[in-house]
Amino acid sequence: MTFHIIVCIKSVVTGAPSGVVKRSPQNSQLNPFDWPALEAALQMKEYNKGSVTAITMGPAISGEALAEAMAMGVDRGILISDPALKGSDTLVTSRVLAAAVKRIGKFDLLFFGTRTSDSDTGQVGPQTATLLEVPFISGVKQFEGQVGDWTVERGMDEWEETWRLSSPWSASINQHAYAPRSIGLDSLSEVFDRINIEEWSLTDLDLATEDVGLAGSPTRVVALKKLRRDRNCIMLEGDAQVQMEELITHLNKAGVLA
Amino acid sequence: MTEPFLTAKHRILRRSVRSFCDRELSPIAAQIDQEARFPWEVIEKMGPLKYFGIQASRELGGAALDSLSYAIIIEEVSRISAAIGLCLSVHNSVAVFPIMAFGTAEQQQRWVSELARGQKIGAFCLTEPNAGSDASGISATAIQEGDHYRVNANKVFVTNGGVADICLIFARTDPAAGRKGISVVVVERGTPGFVVGDLEDLCGVRANPVSSIRLYDCCVPKENLLGQSGTGLQIGLVALDTGRIGIAAQALGIAQASMEEAIRYANQRQQFGVPLSRHQVIQMMIADMATQVDAARMMIYRAAWLKDQHQTFTKASAQAKLFAAEAAGKVTDLAVQIHGGYGYSKAYAVERYYRDARVTRIYEGTSEIHRMVIAREAQKEIMSDLHIA
Repeated sequence: MTFHIIVCIKSVVTGAPSGVVKRSPQNSQLNPFDWPALEAALQMKEYNKGSVTAITMGPAISGEALAEAMAMGVDRGILISDPALKGSDTLVTSRVLAAAVKRIGKFDLLFFGTRTSDSDTGQVGPQTATLLEVPFISGVKQFEGQVGDWTVERGMDEWEETWRLSSPWSASINQHAYAPRSIGLDSLSEVFDRINIEEWSLTDLDLATEDVGLAGSPTRVVALKKLRRDRNCIMLEGDAQVQMEELITHLNKAGVLA
Repeated sequence: MTEPFLTAKHRILRRSVRSFCDRELSPIAAQIDQEARFPWEVIEKMGPLKYFGIQASRELGGAALDSLSYAIIIEEVSRISAAIGLCLSVHNSVAVFPIMAFGTAEQQQRWVSELARGQKIGAFCLTEPNAGSDASGISATAIQEGDHYRVNANKVFVTNGGVADICLIFARTDPAAGRKGISVVVVERGTPGFVVGDLEDLCGVRANPVSSIRLYDCCVPKENLLGQSGTGLQIGLVALDTGRIGIAAQALGIAQASMEEAIRYANQRQQFGVPLSRHQVIQMMIADMATQVDAARMMIYRAAWLKDQHQTFTKASAQAKLFAAEAAGKVTDLAVQIHGGYGYSKAYAVERYYRDARVTRIYEGTSEIHRMVIAREAQKEIMSDLHIA
């Protein structure tokens, strides 16, 4: 069996949501945090001569995110779409993705972005890995190796951890670690000449309606409120010494220097 | 909302081109304008991504995209740098395209395979000091002598001239035959007698090395004749029909960028205690800009779509070019006005857009020539509908 990487991606909503979002081609795009995950997978595919599968769960418009991934070089795109999935929280999303990964079969690596730009939870990666019972390393900056033996580096604020493990393993890829490639006009054109996105529904995954969507989701977003940042501009006057002292007084009062 | 004419391919294309231009071109766009410098470092990255072979076949190293994709690419590149959008438009539509359309298989292999990969850059050499809108008035000659042509020409305002490797030269192969004695001969840089003149010191699109090209007794093999002898003007017109879509898209990109800058500025700048955007007089300007930009975009996409459907598009592309160029003039003017004194300063991008927009009403057919084309085509259509003629 050849070397195989699966990347879970998402078509996110752009712009700040207000109320119920109506999805359209104009407000949907591939989650920017997924680009490094795709890039990392594609580099390793080229190195190890394997293949990359991208999967996404979402409305039909999510197919465009898969097409974009395929224009970058992904070999196979799978869209999991079903009206019953509407309202799914991160746990249900993870359940669905885990079921899809199981159905795909053998894989060496399973990648995620660190989070999504529209809901920002960062939960789907680790939850999916847990359901599949594969090790998960978050925020991977670099990795090398082959099927049996991998060295993986992950970054933390002031530290870098190095892990050794064997396939299969899963990870979220640090957003700054792999600069995504530019899409060639020819590869985009070729992908659309023979576009083939597989569509799976709940029945393909042996999942029941009551396990997914709002019904299957233990969590609910009850309110969404845009934060207001109030900023004040205070003009300081006088010579430099006076201004400096006044500035220090202000900063002290604001608790910045305390 | 879904935009008419566009498919998923076009939307992904727009995002990809935009993200490439934001990353590679945007940081240097103002600087290359100031220095009048052709940015080889970006051009070299565009080559492998097939920006120089947008519609060329894949066998020849191109991307084989449709005309709508071509328009979107030129629009997006021009949104960041009109000079580079111009480079791509001319290279793709009036250098590569005529060779694809009229060249023999050998000629395509010989020239397009390198042009499409961006290894060589193309130019279209029609204009002369005394022949512009009246292309039939050229005095360049290409006289056949045995197995070669001896070419003498003085071509001016050649877009990409300073860097062009493969030049389509319009010249008289039969000086006695008038309009029917004009042909297209391909002359490569490096041919003895091929001289690149000084770069023009232009008002806008300054990062494009526009220059004159002079040919002194340049001898090229007779296999360098493109299409049939005497069909030069027809080849030129077909090329320009397509070229217009590119120049229209370039004008649209400039207008779009100006509108974005103007709206951004109008929402930041405070006067009389509120942002400019709260003043009704500024809102009127923004409304006009948005309407001009959208109308231009729809006309361009329609022309490109008609071409992709293999329908007649001469009038549609002339209308799109005329309207988009005029719109770019209006929109950049309003954008400068909204910026006030700052808009007149090189510290703000709208100053560059204002300069870049002006030439779109002049090259690849002036607005006046386009009105002539439109008037002719419109009358033909109506008269034939009315069964007159």
